[in-house]
Amino acid sequence: MPLLVCLLLALPVAGFGLTALVGRRLGTRAWIIAVPAIVATWIVAMVVVYTALTGGFGPDGLHFSLYRWVPAGAFTVDANFVVDNLTAVLLFVVTTVGMLVHVYSIGYMAHDPGRWRFFAYLNLFMFSMLLLVLAGNFVLLFAAWELVGLCSYLLIGFWYPRRSAALAAKKAFIVNRVGDVGFALGIFAVWTTVGTFDFGDAFARLTEGVSGGHIEPWLITGVVLLLFCGAVGKSAQFPLHVWLPDAMEGPTPVSALIHAATMVNAGVYFVARANPIFSLSPTAMFAVAAIGIFTAILAASIALTQTDIKRVLAYSTLSQLGYMFASLGVGAYVAAIFHLVTHGFFKGLLFLGSGSVIHALHEEQDMNRMGALWRRIPITHWTMLVGSLAIAGIPPLAGFFSKDEILGEAFKNGFAWVWFMGIVVAALTAFYMFRLMGKTFYGPSHVDAHVEPQVHESPRSMTVPLVLLAIPAALLGLALGLPFGHGLINQWLAPVFEAAHRNLGLAEGPVQIFGLDGALLLVSVAVAAAGLAVAIRFFGFHWPLLGDTSARPQRVASLTARVPFLYRASHAKWWFDELNDLLFVRIGGFLANAVWWFDRAIVDGTVNGIGDVVQGAGRDLRRVQTGRVQNYALGIAIALIAMSVGFLLVGARG
Amino acid sequence: MSDSLEPYLILSALLFAIGTFGFLARRNAIAMLMSIELMLNAVNLAILAFGAFEPSLRAAASVIALLVIAVAAAEATVGLALVIAIYRNRRTPLVDEYTQMRE
Amino acid sequence: MKLPETIPFLGWAWNDLLFLLLAAALLGTALMVVLGRNIIRSGLWMIACFAVLAGIYALLGTALVAAAQVLVYIGAISVLVLFAIMLTQTKGAPSGLVFHHQAWAAALAAVVLGGLLALVVSSTPWPLAGSRAGTSAKAVAELLFSDFVLPFETVGVLLLAAVIGGVFLAKQDQGEEQAPE
Repeated sequence: MPLLVCLLLALPVAGFGLTALVGRRLGTRAWIIAVPAIVATWIVAMVVVYTALTGGFGPDGLHFSLYRWVPAGAFTVDANFVVDNLTAVLLFVVTTVGMLVHVYSIGYMAHDPGRWRFFAYLNLFMFSMLLLVLAGNFVLLFAAWELVGLCSYLLIGFWYPRRSAALAAKKAFIVNRVGDVGFALGIFAVWTTVGTFDFGDAFARLTEGVSGGHIEPWLITGVVLLLFCGAVGKSAQFPLHVWLPDAMEGPTPVSALIHAATMVNAGVYFVARANPIFSLSPTAMFAVAAIGIFTAILAASIALTQTDIKRVLAYSTLSQLGYMFASLGVGAYVAAIFHLVTHGFFKGLLFLGSGSVIHALHEEQDMNRMGALWRRIPITHWTMLVGSLAIAGIPPLAGFFSKDEILGEAFKNGFAWVWFMGIVVAALTAFYMFRLMGKTFYGPSHVDAHVEPQVHESPRSMTVPLVLLAIPAALLGLALGLPFGHGLINQWLAPVFEAAHRNLGLAEGPVQIFGLDGALLLVSVAVAAAGLAVAIRFFGFHWPLLGDTSARPQRVASLTARVPFLYRASHAKWWFDELNDLLFVRIGGFLANAVWWFDRAIVDGTVNGIGDVVQGAGRDLRRVQTGRVQNYALGIAIALIAMSVGFLLVGARG
Repeated sequence: MSDSLEPYLILSALLFAIGTFGFLARRNAIAMLMSIELMLNAVNLAILAFGAFEPSLRAAASVIALLVIAVAAAEATVGLALVIAIYRNRRTPLVDEYTQMRE
Repeated sequence: MKLPETIPFLGWAWNDLLFLLLAAALLGTALMVVLGRNIIRSGLWMIACFAVLAGIYALLGTALVAAAQVLVYIGAISVLVLFAIMLTQTKGAPSGLVFHHQAWAAALAAVVLGGLLALVVSSTPWPLAGSRAGTSAKAVAELLFSDFVLPFETVGVLLLAAVIGGVFLAKQDQGEEQAPE
């Protein structure tokens, strides 16, 4: 079994290596190494997942160490891996969505001359992400963390000749780095506090330390918050959210895989993995929840006015990630992971679908130039409709189950404000998703006249993954989430979060379908439906068998006119990019220039000054060496006189 | 005054000082050599003065003075020969123009 | 006519007057040597200086050394110096400064040096046994050929070397080519 886990890592990295070496020569068949590698990885992963979830690894999961990575006395780090139920769930999402994205890319990148690079990077990314999920200690996790960041950089900037893509890749990496500084500091803090990097040992010792009283509350809060910084960066939470929308410069499969289904979930995964220590600090939990729900509402508010189809989905991802962190913060760990799983599928579906739309319209991404496409690209349309319904939280699709569990738990654990903001976000989510659907597929066509005749459905390599993703988007909630609060997902993940539940003192009460739980459920559905209805009224819809609801652009315009500031703020992403530019580029640049001046003028000046003094002294002293004997003789005479006087004076005194 | 030692020694000191000044200040090489002769003579005077006033040194002082004179002659010979040789090359007897070996 | 015991009116001894005159002459001629602009004149003043010194040596009672002074210094060295001066004259009169820039510093140093020496000399309690007395040539000769015979011979060799060296140095290069070996 450890062999299979190693195979999970070896296959993608072998795919990367081989594709990098010979990919260029394969031409259009560049996928021939990478895609089968990932399919094989998926098969192995399914075996591992099955074994884990059916209890094949025992209650603690599979722990094994591959080799001693850093044998440095007290500072010893193994390359060790953990496969427990949490890992298994993540493996399932990562490999499935990854495989479907790889297959999709065959068609999407068919005309791109750099496709061999693309597949190589995709494989490298799969390796990094799997390493991250399987890692059993902080150092290995951090290494994988940085690797996924690297792959993100490479893939966002895949079309590097385009300046905006190169800049976006840089931005992503740098903002990630900011978070990683905190993360690294947190890891250092863990080491200095408990002296080990292994997850199990570190968590156990930290828990002991807190309950035993020799680790102060502020210390554990500090450590946990530092570690959380990394999650904030990687999962694009406020204030490090600015890189994710710009990351849409990359090809759509990249957006689907990395920025929807896998990499951005790394932060959520990490917080879930570290639940024993997060739950030790109520302050940190509060911070996590606050940042999460704030990001959710911030991103949702921006998604309302964006016109680029991928940007809307990017902000939607930010918002859903905010939900997941809010869920982690209120103690609803299982709900967060459940939402992670469902989100991976329906967001991946939505991104791939948008890619299909873009492909059909010959690289058009502006929704203002779309419309009336539902007849022309039916498969894309129906699958995206499934995805949109799922994300809006309409039962019985997947998003309903996971989102409702989050909101329900938030309310029941005493975080009513989180619940309320979550409700608002749910309404906004439904609204902007169906705004997207309306502008893209319904209403009058604003498609450019040259492109209009060539609109066609995408090739099978692209539509098959869409359909394959639509199925779990529709059914996964039913499969894993019923009965409420005790579905399969709860059974699988409960042992992982046992420590947290103990620390937080969360009660496992029965689910009152006709009491509180039922009421909360109804509220979330009602709110989602309301948002959906408003969107349909503004942007149009095609009811199967019932005809169309037409779009009402004039009502949209009048609504916009009534709240000009909000519209402008939302459209301008609340001016965060401008704020960052002012603070860090301008003010930071000014400070940097000042420091540079100091370094040049004072530090270098001093050093050079010393050199100049020495040189000058040498130059001036050299003048004593005239080469003339009489000068030297005068020197001797003077010295003689001086010594004599000296001796006389000393002698006279003594 | 001529019966005590000090005046002779003071005279010798003053002559020596004059010789030193000449050696340090003149540009002509031969003038420097002349100043050296003055200095040597001053020393001679001092030695003879000691000899005159101290019986145990009486004869030895004269001997030493004679030897000093002989050495001074040898030194003057070689020194002047050198100056003439250099003069042939440089066409000047002024020492601060002998700069061939300077940097 | 016999001289009075002491100088009339002043009450000095004759020897003292002689010493004073000789001392003044010595310092005067020495100063003319080092301060003279014309180097031939300096050479001639040097001869005068040596003569005065011979007189002082005679006053000290060392007649042999006084004679040697006249013979060697005035008779040989001064002649040598004058020859050298004449051989190294530049065509026009020597123009430019006679003294270096450092002449003032040298003067100061010389004055201080002289003053220092004089001061030291006059403040030292010399443990002297007798008063001024002369030296006979016989005593000198005895000492020269007994205790000092090695320096005597060495000085002879030194003089030989000096002569050979002087001849070699002052020889003209063309002389080597012209004179067939």
